[in-house]
Amino acid sequence: MSATMEQISRQSVEMQGSFENTAWRWMRYSGLLLIPLAWIHVAIQDVLVGVHSIDLDYVAFRWASLGWRVYDFALLAFAFAHGVNGLRQVLFDYIGNDKARRRLSWLLLAFWLIVSLIGAGAIVGGVRME
Amino acid sequence: MDSVKLNLTGLARYRGREGQFSFLLHRLTGLGTLLFLVIHILDTSTVYFFPSLYSHAIEIYRSTPMMIGEIFLVFSVIYHGVNGARIAIFDLFFPNLWNIETQRSTAVWTLAIAILLWLPAAFLMGRSLLVHNFGL
Repeated sequence: MSATMEQISRQSVEMQGSFENTAWRWMRYSGLLLIPLAWIHVAIQDVLVGVHSIDLDYVAFRWASLGWRVYDFALLAFAFAHGVNGLRQVLFDYIGNDKARRRLSWLLLAFWLIVSLIGAGAIVGGVRME
Repeated sequence: MDSVKLNLTGLARYRGREGQFSFLLHRLTGLGTLLFLVIHILDTSTVYFFPSLYSHAIEIYRSTPMMIGEIFLVFSVIYHGVNGARIAIFDLFFPNLWNIETQRSTAVWTLAIAILLWLPAAFLMGRSLLVHNFGL
């Protein structure tokens, strides 16, 4: 007798701990965290303040408070890692070769690290007034 | 190249309805947001590395095409968030509810909630565009 769709959908599968398993779970945790983090950021900067009111003085004013620097640092860390891992998953759908996948993963890791370091450097360094 | 062609024709032919549509929209909004995010991290970093360049970057953001793009960016961030919450909540807490009926109805609700949240933001941003770039 063949299993019905109902039965199949109720099967529980024991997942073994692996990198992909952890990455899968972290996409969900970081995603839920990014809803308040990214939405508040976008609502304030894009909708309420607007790009016409943003300049060096505004960034300096915002980063004068440690809280906003920590906020921006968390946003940078979670959003960019979430985004690059998402890109990795999309590209994996089009690349079947294991060796090519590994090479791509290293490339994306390097890209993530470099851009994250640049962003983190600016948040830590702050605005340099000339 | 063949796999790209196969994917594009497949997307047009495969009739996966709501589930496929939300999958596609989730990917497109995610990739679009990531593209913006990379540019945004780098241009904001000029405040420390090349402060004199920052005003040039902001000048570009104030142009009409960029401000229109920004309105779509906000939709992407909202839709990706609402749909991501749907995926995360089902995956983490209610995996047994992943069935076609629930998927269809929640996918439609997701789009409706995203549009409702986006409309006030789009209104304010659209008004800002008209005020600053068209002297309204």
